[in-house]
Amino acid sequence: MSDDEHHFESKADAGASKTFPQQAGTIRKNGYIVIKARPCKVVEVSTSKTGKHGHAKCHFVGIDIFSGKKLEDIVPSSHNCDVPHVNRSDYQLIDISEDGFVSLLTESGGTKDDLRLPTDDTLLAQIKGGFEEGKDLVVSVMSAMGEEQICAVKDIGKN
Amino acid sequence: MNQSYQNTAPPDLAHLQATMRTIELACSSIQMHVNPSAAEATILSLSQSPQPYQACQFILENSQMPNARFQAAGAIRDAAIREWGFLSTDDKKGLISFCLCFVMQHASSAEGYVQAKVASVAAQLLKRGWLEFTAADKGTFFSQVNQAVAGSHGLDMQFAGIIFLESLVSEFSPSTSTAMGLPKEFHDQCQTSLELDYLKSLYGWAQDAASSVTNRIIASDSAIPEAKVCSAALRLMLQILNWDFRCSKSTVEIGRRGMGVLGVKNDSYSARKTECNLVQPGPSWCDVLITSGHVGWLLRLYGALRQKFSCKGYWLDCPLAVSARKLIVQFCSLTGNIFPADNGHMQGQHLLQLLSGVVEWIDPPDAVAKSIQNGKSDSELLDGCHALLSMAAVTSPLMFDQLLKPIRPYGTLHLLYALMSEVVKDIMENHTEEETWSWVARDVLLDTWTTILMLLDSTSRDALLPSEGISAAANLFALIVESELKAASASAFSDDNDADYFQASITAMDERLSSYALVARAALDATVPLLVRLFSERFARLHQGRGICDPTQILEELYSLLLITGHVLADEWQGETPLVPMAIQTQFMDVVESENHPVVVLSGSIIRFSEQSLDTEMRTSFFSPRLMEAVIWFLARWSCTYLMPHEESKGNNLTIDNFKERQPESELSKKMLFSVFGDNDQGKFVLDVIVRIATVSLVSYPGEKNLQELTCNQLLHGLARRKNVRVHLLNLDSWRNLANAFTNERILLSLNPVHQRSLAQTLALSASGMRNSEESNQFIRNVASHMTTYLLQLSVKDDLKKVAQQPDIILLVSCLLERLRGVASASEPRIQKAIYEMGFSVLNPILIFLDIYKHESVVVYLLLKFVVDWVDGQIIYLEAHETAAVIDFSMRLLQSYSSHNIGKISVSVSSSLRSEEDTEKYKDLRALLQLLASLCTKDMVDFSSEPVESHGTSISKVVYMGLHIVTPLITLELLKYPKLCHDYFSLLSHLLEVYPEMVMQLNNEAFIHIVGTLDFGLHHQDSEVVDLCLRALKALSSYHYKETGAGKSGLGSYASGYEDLAGNSQEGILGRFLHSLLQFLVFGDYSNDLVSAAADALLPLILCEQSIYQRLANELIESQGNPAFRSRLANAFQFLTSANNLSSTLDRRNYQKFRKNLQSFLVEVRGFLRTI
Repeated sequence: MSDDEHHFESKADAGASKTFPQQAGTIRKNGYIVIKARPCKVVEVSTSKTGKHGHAKCHFVGIDIFSGKKLEDIVPSSHNCDVPHVNRSDYQLIDISEDGFVSLLTESGGTKDDLRLPTDDTLLAQIKGGFEEGKDLVVSVMSAMGEEQICAVKDIGKN
Repeated sequence: MNQSYQNTAPPDLAHLQATMRTIELACSSIQMHVNPSAAEATILSLSQSPQPYQACQFILENSQMPNARFQAAGAIRDAAIREWGFLSTDDKKGLISFCLCFVMQHASSAEGYVQAKVASVAAQLLKRGWLEFTAADKGTFFSQVNQAVAGSHGLDMQFAGIIFLESLVSEFSPSTSTAMGLPKEFHDQCQTSLELDYLKSLYGWAQDAASSVTNRIIASDSAIPEAKVCSAALRLMLQILNWDFRCSKSTVEIGRRGMGVLGVKNDSYSARKTECNLVQPGPSWCDVLITSGHVGWLLRLYGALRQKFSCKGYWLDCPLAVSARKLIVQFCSLTGNIFPADNGHMQGQHLLQLLSGVVEWIDPPDAVAKSIQNGKSDSELLDGCHALLSMAAVTSPLMFDQLLKPIRPYGTLHLLYALMSEVVKDIMENHTEEETWSWVARDVLLDTWTTILMLLDSTSRDALLPSEGISAAANLFALIVESELKAASASAFSDDNDADYFQASITAMDERLSSYALVARAALDATVPLLVRLFSERFARLHQGRGICDPTQILEELYSLLLITGHVLADEWQGETPLVPMAIQTQFMDVVESENHPVVVLSGSIIRFSEQSLDTEMRTSFFSPRLMEAVIWFLARWSCTYLMPHEESKGNNLTIDNFKERQPESELSKKMLFSVFGDNDQGKFVLDVIVRIATVSLVSYPGEKNLQELTCNQLLHGLARRKNVRVHLLNLDSWRNLANAFTNERILLSLNPVHQRSLAQTLALSASGMRNSEESNQFIRNVASHMTTYLLQLSVKDDLKKVAQQPDIILLVSCLLERLRGVASASEPRIQKAIYEMGFSVLNPILIFLDIYKHESVVVYLLLKFVVDWVDGQIIYLEAHETAAVIDFSMRLLQSYSSHNIGKISVSVSSSLRSEEDTEKYKDLRALLQLLASLCTKDMVDFSSEPVESHGTSISKVVYMGLHIVTPLITLELLKYPKLCHDYFSLLSHLLEVYPEMVMQLNNEAFIHIVGTLDFGLHHQDSEVVDLCLRALKALSSYHYKETGAGKSGLGSYASGYEDLAGNSQEGILGRFLHSLLQFLVFGDYSNDLVSAAADALLPLILCEQSIYQRLANELIESQGNPAFRSRLANAFQFLTSANNLSSTLDRRNYQKFRKNLQSFLVEVRGFLRTI
């Protein structure tokens, strides 16, 4: 049995594919799913049947991880769904420019300047306030299907 | 009124009128919804003002507005209950008699609700003073009421008197009494006293009142006011018969001996009959209820009413008819030692009399059903069914059947059957979704059958059920099955997507099916062959119609047949080892060949049918997911009872006498049942078939979650949890194949991860059935190696950071973690070693993954849960060095989790995602607390060879360290999650109780945080949480008291005063807690159950901080404006600390004394302190 692990070896090197197929029945609450070409977080899954003696289908309620909009979908549970590749990276905040863009330090030492400040008030206040106070801030950037957004901030000076 | 306590002069007329106008205004603005909260506050201020009685009485007598009168009555009640402690006896009696007089004088008032309210206020006040009033005082009140009820002052007053008695009885009955802030003992004493001294006379009064008007009602042809009085009196009698008679219970033992023998059921069986309460008032009631001809009068009254239903003013559901019927039904449940020990003769007479009246409502069933279908009211039929149910509950089946014989050519069971068949026919003909009379009647009648048959099921059958009863049951079951099949095929195409409704109906259906099973088991000779026939018909039709017609209807019929048969053949097993039902064991004595045993034939045919699902072609054409669910469900239920039954259950010891005589024959038939599917070849063959069917349902039905759940959780888990089955499982190729598929085949990775966990657990459990433990451990290693190897390899990959985020990898990792969790939770001593190694090998990868997946909450949760389950299963077995390793790992895990999450602010655009995030955090923290709690258990239970301390580990230190790491993450916001809150406080109170000395090793920040949460918990709504906090407080303060008593520093600066985080100096925590606990006790709202726990915390606090206590007490006393209150309060405080020879030690007896003191202190002062 021990030499069978290659069965599980996935196409790890298949490149930065934006989505992956996954059987609908295995997608659980709090997982991700693509509904109407939008990356969503699943907040509700229910199953029903097509007729009493038919096959099961899954009813998904998802929330667009970028826009917060609610989307729904129904898929036969043995079929495949697209699951988005959601990536989160941490960057140190170097600068906030006047036009609302931030400057971030990447791991390789370069800078990343194409992200706007978040629109959320709490987060915005934390970032701006913390930056002005000279705190060491690390922001988390969530990216999926070609979109990016700052989703969290953390003061690393504290610990 | 005596206004001696009031500081101001008695209010004058103008003042009273002003108050009345204010209240009237407030009442009308509430009704018109103009600023209702202000109006409510006005009304509340009336009831909270000191001594508002005069104003209230003025309003009651003078206001034209009924609502204002209603509120005034309520205010009298609230104020009097609150101020009861310092009202003079005359005041108290004055208030009661005012209310009573008011009710009597205004008896003709049109606003019934005001009258009812005032009557209930009178009743409540009377109860409040019940234990202090003399018998003469009570006598005065009661004679006034008695006169009214007797009718000497006219009908209205008669009615008012009865209404008052109704309130009184409901006030004295524990389930309907109003809370008065008094201990339960008070209510108990009142209940006992009323039952012993008054209840019977009250019943007599109601009886007299009713019979005094009966003649006029019977004589008149239209509605007359007497009917109202009569129906109120009947209601009162019903209410009294519903009383939970206690005083007779102690004497029941004596009565039971006389009756148990001959068939009148004694009350040891009554626990089962949840549907109807037995009425057991005891021998002293015999004259009133039985020998006085009361029942005859009642039946004649109702009989006369029945003649009048065509007249104006009377109809089947008029109040008088309804209360008369209810009372008649209630009489059917009369039992216990009210009947003399005369072999049940008198009870038989009593029931016969009742039945002869009731039978008119339900017989002949077909005619009754017909007239209901034509629009007649169904209430007589339904009440009749209830009466039958009540009678069944108090008689033996034989006696029940005999009851009808004197008046009809058939027995009661036949009538029951005939009624039920009419009802079932009606359900079949008028198939609607709505609940109709026939649904209700069916449920009541089924309950009746259950009541009768339940007793038979637990003993041997033929002793008690007459042969007509058996044939009735057989016919009934045939009819039931027919109707169920008809319903099934009718609903086969309906697309019922309403999931909620579906869930609720499943539970209802389960209950119904168990009742059906009881009916079937009463006549197995007929019902099992019937089921065999029905199955073979369906199988044949399925094959004939193959490819020609749509099988859906037959599939649905098979589905319901499988459910019914499963219930008939086997009992539910939820965690128990079910036996072959007694009825089945003792039936079929004459069968010699095991192949011919009807149960074997039935089981065999279903198993052969199920086996066809292994054939791909058959499966795709017939075995729909739904049918497969029924098959799996049936196999799970059946195999638990019949497949390789447990050795002990074979020699199952029966003690029933009449059973022993038949032992030799029954032993044979029983042996046959046990051995057919036992440890022999046939048993193994069936087991093999079942495992193969299970594998097919996992592999060939992708995405069918329900089916997978049944297969994993019910069928396979049910097999592997039984020792005798485990032994055989691992010898089966099919089981090895399943294990192989699990480790090697992708298809099983697409099962729902939760089911993968269950499957892993099942496989691991089965390993402990192997002959030697080395083999078992090897099997576990084989099952687990694919998971651990993969996780290890993944964790050391160079591009892990990039790869790990891919959805397919995330899915794979979570599936494997779930599987690991499954194996970990299967820990049994035998396979513990392999499971420990399995977990130990992935500790490093887990820390790596915790870092990599810090943003992937789903994975984080799984990682934590795996660790929790693994530690929980292992900790007690671990040797000292292993413990040290596990603890070291746990701390690293906690630190890593904390560093990722502390100070993190994440925000999401959607509020539902935000709340999801909170929920995730809550679940994580709860898992961490569980981890700490399992580490704690090492100090309690330890199976290792040397103590953990030998490796320098101190559990208490470690757990405090953990708490130190975790507490900053637990915000007050998160403590709003009840489960987290509960876990947190139980861990905290456990730690403080067991290791209070460790608290000093926490740093300032952590300590203040813990104190803050304790303060929060003290004000929590959940009394269990408050209780935990009180225990923690007790632990803290008693520790400090004992330490300082021994000359040590105890809590040191925390107790004397310290600086908080912002640098402000704070008073000592014990003083602060003393303050808030006193506030809480005196002014807060809490359940009475908490008082003892609060006393236990308060005593050491007072002892620690005596000077602060004195100060607080003085402040409280000084704050009282009223000198009378002040002295009362001072006395109460004095009493609290000195009564009962309270000493300043913390031993058990002293705690007990203090509990008593506090209880009396609170009763004394809370009433007037809380509203000021």
